[in-house]
Amino acid sequence: MPARSGPVAALLILAYASSAVADEPLHARIDRLIAAGHPNHSKLAAPAADDGEFLRRVTLDLSGTIPSTAEATAFFADTAPDKRVKLIDRLLAAPSYARRMAQAFDVILMERRKDTRVTRAAWETYLRDTFAANRPYDAFARELLSADGSDAKLRPAAKFFLDRDLEPNLITRDLGRVFLGRNMGCAQCHDHPTVNDYKQADYYGIQAFINRTFLFPNAQAPTAVIAEKADGEVNFTSVFDKAKKTSGTGPRMPGLKPLDEPKAEKGKEYAVAPAKDVRPVPAYSRRERLAAAVTSPDNPAFARTAVNRLWALLLGRGIIDPVDQDHADNPPSHPELLDTLARDFVAHNYDVKRLVREIVLSRTYQRSSEVPATLTDVPADRYLVGPLKPLAAEQLAYALSEATGNTSADAKAAPLVATFRGMYGGVAGEPDDGTTQTLSQTLFLKNGPVVRGLTQPKAGNLADRLGKLPPDRIADELFLSVLTRRPTADEKTDVTAALTRTPAAERPVFCGELVWALVTSAEFRFNH
Amino acid sequence: MPNAKYACGSAAHAVSRRGFLAAAGATAALGPAGFAAPGSTAELARNQKRVLVIFLAGGVSQLETWDPKPGTDTGGPFRAIPTSVTGTHICELLPHTAARMHKLAVVRSLNSTTPDHAQGEKIMLTGRRPEAGIEYPHIGAVAAKMLGGEQAEMPGHIHILPGGGGGGRADAAFLGPQFASVPVPDGRPPTNLLRPAGLTADADAAREALRQSLTDRFSRSRRSAASEAYAASFAQAERVFHRADVFDVERESLKTAERYGRHDFGRHLLLARRLLEAGVSYVKVSHSNYDTHHENFDFHIEQLGEFDRPFSALLDDLSDRGMLESTLVVVMSEMGRTPRINDRFGRDHWSNGWSVVMGGAGIKGGAVVGRTNANGSTIADREVGPWHLFHTYLRAVGLDPERNFHPNQRPVPVADPRASAISEILA
Repeated sequence: MPARSGPVAALLILAYASSAVADEPLHARIDRLIAAGHPNHSKLAAPAADDGEFLRRVTLDLSGTIPSTAEATAFFADTAPDKRVKLIDRLLAAPSYARRMAQAFDVILMERRKDTRVTRAAWETYLRDTFAANRPYDAFARELLSADGSDAKLRPAAKFFLDRDLEPNLITRDLGRVFLGRNMGCAQCHDHPTVNDYKQADYYGIQAFINRTFLFPNAQAPTAVIAEKADGEVNFTSVFDKAKKTSGTGPRMPGLKPLDEPKAEKGKEYAVAPAKDVRPVPAYSRRERLAAAVTSPDNPAFARTAVNRLWALLLGRGIIDPVDQDHADNPPSHPELLDTLARDFVAHNYDVKRLVREIVLSRTYQRSSEVPATLTDVPADRYLVGPLKPLAAEQLAYALSEATGNTSADAKAAPLVATFRGMYGGVAGEPDDGTTQTLSQTLFLKNGPVVRGLTQPKAGNLADRLGKLPPDRIADELFLSVLTRRPTADEKTDVTAALTRTPAAERPVFCGELVWALVTSAEFRFNH
Repeated sequence: MPNAKYACGSAAHAVSRRGFLAAAGATAALGPAGFAAPGSTAELARNQKRVLVIFLAGGVSQLETWDPKPGTDTGGPFRAIPTSVTGTHICELLPHTAARMHKLAVVRSLNSTTPDHAQGEKIMLTGRRPEAGIEYPHIGAVAAKMLGGEQAEMPGHIHILPGGGGGGRADAAFLGPQFASVPVPDGRPPTNLLRPAGLTADADAAREALRQSLTDRFSRSRRSAASEAYAASFAQAERVFHRADVFDVERESLKTAERYGRHDFGRHLLLARRLLEAGVSYVKVSHSNYDTHHENFDFHIEQLGEFDRPFSALLDDLSDRGMLESTLVVVMSEMGRTPRINDRFGRDHWSNGWSVVMGGAGIKGGAVVGRTNANGSTIADREVGPWHLFHTYLRAVGLDPERNFHPNQRPVPVADPRASAISEILA
């Protein structure tokens, strides 16, 4: 029956193809969709990073530091074809993964603000526990957005609100930026002048969730908790509106319908009525509905923003970039990829570790950052080569300890991390981008006592070890320790020549200068 | 990220592997000759605009300086004296400045809205009312970016302050850390500018050559704006290091030092002059402390006694060098002081009607703008805010305050779009 075989065969092929797509691991889908974003991707893209480049990159991304020489030596010697997968799984299972994610999410959520009502120690412990247990991201977000600070166990979770002083415009802006991928700060006073999608009504829809909240007993108390009134509406007027028409809105997520709200019966507005020194509890709480509204499956911005931010953390730029500019005039570089990642994230119960694992398994992530000689145009949003990511303050501190052979145990590293946060931590409330270098930072590296203390010989550190090696072995040890690779023949010659020229008595100190030269090179400063 | 050969043209990059190999005690490879010398002072004076802000920290009293009210209930014990501008009187605590008032313009009707140290300073330096969700750059960062640019020889934004500390990337806000203030605590060179003990010039040259050859090798196949900025920052540090003498006021003659006065503020103002001469776009000098809740009058005798002579010496030096025409000089505070004298002979915080003085660049010397009433308790004419001043500073050095910055692809006007410059004092 030839007349029927055509459609049947086609159906079979379709069924086969769609099951193949369904079975296709996420990392392979990532690579397929990235390749589809450039007419000549497979031909032009850089090859896979070599072992040293990959090991350094993935260790910095998943552990927040560089590999030890022992790890590097073992990895280079390993001939197993699946050694990269095994490495990834080992890094994801180590405690340093939770530490690294805690550092990254501290910056994403708090943007280097001063610790005021929640201490850094409590906050870091809370974040580490969250990522060590790999708690689903939606549950984590709900906890951050619903904690009111009164339960001691959950007080760290309330930091997002408490350490922003519950300032309504700041909270509104940052809820939009951090969780919804939208910086609607401009929409406070009028519809956004250049972004058509950002409406003043959307801004105030978010604000309506928190406009009844206040700090109890008062804003000055370091132990203040979040309290709420039973009444209060948001009203707004555009500064551009000559007629000064005032509008109002109930609580709603951008682009979605306002919530249905119960009408409070007169006299029954409060479960605990306001009185002197009493924290009121309204019968109906708008704030309590915020967490569910943000993380609801009906609000696609939530998962989309989460996966975009994780992608940006690992690939150096967002699929939507900047990560808080999700709107029609700034489309994603790879729309289908973004949808795929978001759907997968929701389907797998907001599993952060799974998403991170799939991204770092991809060839896209594992590409060399060396631009092939044949490539003349390298648009950053096409992922033809691996990105250069400046090390964050914490990565720099840990990597520097590791590279110079000084202890990087957490307790010992804490003061060093604090110093680097002070020097490299960016401006409070501004995204940390590390794209520029101040004179003070460079002088800190060049002549400052902290870096000198790490690089100069001290019992057991790298410079000390180098000083005791025969000169022809120094370059190998130096490059492996600091840059996770072996020196080229030229580099080896350079190092040996410089050592030979140095009087014997000055060699130990000069070994420290060699360490300095490597840790201040661009190769060390970037995750490449 | 074009895949071009690394070619920013900086002489520093010329030192590659060959330079490293040749670095056998070869400071020459990195010596001062390797770095382009800036133009001569005269050339800078003609072409480059600069800004100097003298910040009288704590809040100077307008009544003991620019807007005296002798013989009234608020006036205090001091007389008003005539100045080089007919009809303009200032407080007798500033005799040397009085003789130079024809070079300065006074704004006597400033309402800065916030009688608070931290907020007041921020408002005065950013020219903006505080807004949630956005931090604005200080005038120093704006001047460094718009007058000096990315490729400036010296850091464009320097803050000389008594004691230690200071400096912060926060003052550049979205303009980025390369325009943040470089602190010069107590007039010493920037922290960590000089070689640490134990690092010889030869070893420094050798290690720097290795660092550079590694960075060059890396940059040949991997580049981004950030990696270039990183590489360039070492070249800038090297340039500043080779001009460390600029930070050394001891190189001035004894006579000059005497004219500025043998005290910290005198030294700091002299250093400011040296930095401006060396091409720094913006220098801020803080003079502490005018927060005179007690004994306002005694403290102002002391503080202004320290201010008056070096300030006058600085105006003379800038004039003599032909630099005053291109250098805007502003004397400001975070606020003024209450006309009412409290029961401890002090004056408290006051933002509603005080004075700021400026001169040089495009400012009309001798101008007086605005007026307070007879005893200074309220503004009687031409009220202005810090936002009007901010527009005025920019216009005075030939910048357009109506231009936009574009942080995160969003236009942000350089100055508050609801205000404009005080045109009466622009030449």
